[in-house]
Amino acid sequence: MPGFDFSNYNRNAALHARGVPLPKATSTGTTIVGCIYDNGVVIAADTRATSGPIVADKNCEKLHYIAPKIWCAGAGTAADTEFTTALISSNVELHSLSTGRDPRVITCMTMLKQHLFRYQGHIGAYLVVAGVDPTGVGLYTVHAHGSTDKLPYVTMGSGSLAAMSVFESMWQPDLNKEGAIALCSEAIKAGIFNDLGSGSNVDVCVIEKDKPTQLLRNYEKPNERGLKERNYRFPRGTTAWLNQKVISKEDMKKYVTIETLSGDDNLAAGEKMEVDV
Amino acid sequence: MGSPFDINGGACVAMVGKDCVAIACDLRLGMQALTISNNFPKIFNYAPSTYLGLTGLATDVNTVSDLFRYKVNMYRLREERHISPSDPGQPGQLIVPFICGFDSIGCIDFAKDFIVSGTASDQLFGTCEGLWEPDLGPEDLFETISQALLSAVDRDALSGWGAQVYIIEKDKVTQRLLKGRQD
Amino acid sequence: MDKLVAQYSRPSHQNESYSEQEQQDLTESLPPLSLKFALPPVANPSAFLRAMTDDHSNPSCPIKLAHGTTTLAFRFQGGIIVCTDSRATAGNWIASQTVKKVIPVSRLSRGEDKPTNDPTPGLLGTMAGGAADCQYWLRYLSQQCTLHEIRHKRRITVAAASKILANLTYSYKGYGLSMGTMLAGVTPQEGPALYYIDSDGTRLPGNLFCVGSGQTFAYGVLDANYRYDLTEQEALALGRRAILAAMHRDAYSGGFINLYHVKEEGWVHHGFDDMNPIFWKTKLESGEFSNVTSEL
Repeated sequence: MPGFDFSNYNRNAALHARGVPLPKATSTGTTIVGCIYDNGVVIAADTRATSGPIVADKNCEKLHYIAPKIWCAGAGTAADTEFTTALISSNVELHSLSTGRDPRVITCMTMLKQHLFRYQGHIGAYLVVAGVDPTGVGLYTVHAHGSTDKLPYVTMGSGSLAAMSVFESMWQPDLNKEGAIALCSEAIKAGIFNDLGSGSNVDVCVIEKDKPTQLLRNYEKPNERGLKERNYRFPRGTTAWLNQKVISKEDMKKYVTIETLSGDDNLAAGEKMEVDV
Repeated sequence: MGSPFDINGGACVAMVGKDCVAIACDLRLGMQALTISNNFPKIFNYAPSTYLGLTGLATDVNTVSDLFRYKVNMYRLREERHISPSDPGQPGQLIVPFICGFDSIGCIDFAKDFIVSGTASDQLFGTCEGLWEPDLGPEDLFETISQALLSAVDRDALSGWGAQVYIIEKDKVTQRLLKGRQD
Repeated sequence: MDKLVAQYSRPSHQNESYSEQEQQDLTESLPPLSLKFALPPVANPSAFLRAMTDDHSNPSCPIKLAHGTTTLAFRFQGGIIVCTDSRATAGNWIASQTVKKVIPVSRLSRGEDKPTNDPTPGLLGTMAGGAADCQYWLRYLSQQCTLHEIRHKRRITVAAASKILANLTYSYKGYGLSMGTMLAGVTPQEGPALYYIDSDGTRLPGNLFCVGSGQTFAYGVLDANYRYDLTEQEALALGRRAILAAMHRDAYSGGFINLYHVKEEGWVHHGFDDMNPIFWKTKLESGEFSNVTSEL
């Protein structure tokens, strides 16, 4: 498995100590939550990605696919949540292919925590893992250093306190699907409105026993941007330019080094890959 | 000692229009305060209608653009078709306008409006948020992206010194050199 | 006011100059510095200030000072040319493109920048380094010059004025002042006089100075084309051209070209003009700046 190269770690730490700032990574100053109900589990997330004080993406996706019935909500360093879940998703798929069984949530959680523990917190992924498998419903949190938790309702990210206050005051043990979705959505909204690192829309994912998983992208949009009262279009010819070049599609092919072979069927057929069966 | 991201300076922006996209960059290459070159474009072409803008440390801009050139050539030999921005697209055919941005460790920002990067990114966020609107045609998109970039770099000490704009349409690409402030 | 001064002053003394002893008396007769600043309650205030303001070593420092400038002044047969850019930066952020970096010093002309072709009597100071330090201390210098004028019934010499400032900056040495300034003036005693004073306490008389982050670029142009017997038009063009070169190559200089001419009767303002049209005009008319092309 490919790993990180730590050979520059000491140099970077020394530079940082002398005042060189760390590069800005996109971080999902985030609210993510999860909640189980009688027949499945719901996870939800806000959609704001920040880099320092700047909102880098107003509608990003923080709910990641692991397996058809296992999904993950990610907080922390955006690239780390993205790539860690993609890696584990691949490994879960391979594992299920080799065992011939549906993947289990606890397997996925264990793979995540082992991966994260090995990197001692340098992979800044804070995750909520949820899913339904043959053993029942699973809902876990995984922290960047590798610790995990198993709870009926969970929150993570910078908005976790705001979201948890909603769960603590409104959660009941016998929730149905609609109730769980509403509660999770409400918890995310608490994060969106009360935490500066979270914002924009609510994404929800519902994983139910014996039913296809539903990803409700932008389930709620409580922060729609108002229409501009007037338009700020510049009259054509506003911008002064000194020179122009028009490149047609045909010209463009001259600049790339090799002509494509695709148009020619015979040639392409001869080059086809042989596959062992 | 400053951050490697603001040693050489530079800014880049991409915008979505109606059946077209535009990408623009400034032309400065500096070493801290000293302007070394005013002809250092940061946009690279990889296939018909696939462009990549790179900002940050100039040596890395060169390395990444060359490495990507190599990878794209290998892709084309292996797959026998041109690469497209989103990858699964049709060879050499712009079907949907598509832009996206990356942070330095690979987090992808799929945007339906605009993407900014470089030392003037804060200013670009401001100008783009104010000037961009949906469904701009190629000519209007050119004015919008140009004015957004020029205004932004006028408030950044490390970028400017002219700009290049590409307007990418279905069947042609127009490349323009803007007249920008030289200070 | 002029009438009042004339009424109580002796007729002006042509070609009169101060003796060493008189100069000594004049500077020593000034009131002792009674300016007390509140200092942060830490062991080493200047180190503390540096830690708070040095965005070079700490880009997230809480106080960002405006640095980065090009200013120049040179003596020639027709007086003194003073020329500056107009950019103020805080880190890489361009905070303003319309800063007035030439500050009139002395009572009669202070703060008056009205568009007139008549020369305004008085000295000119330039601003480089911390904008607040320069503005505050040049204003203080202006006050001292006025007091001098009232006490001694004649205008202060540039030598004496520059010494007030240099003594002041020297007394605050190590407290973190940041200023590099040039004082220019023409007095009957001295003729055209130009001094460089900075926050280290340096005070230098000279023919030609450039100060700021773009100083090297300005020196390059100035050294190539400077002669003492330049005509007025040539001198103004040279000042403008040197600043233009610095604006082009230095990231922290730019904006508008602020040009002054100091002569016997006082200083004359020769415009506060956007560099952009001047740059393209210079390029197209004289073929300079050939590094800027329209090639694609």
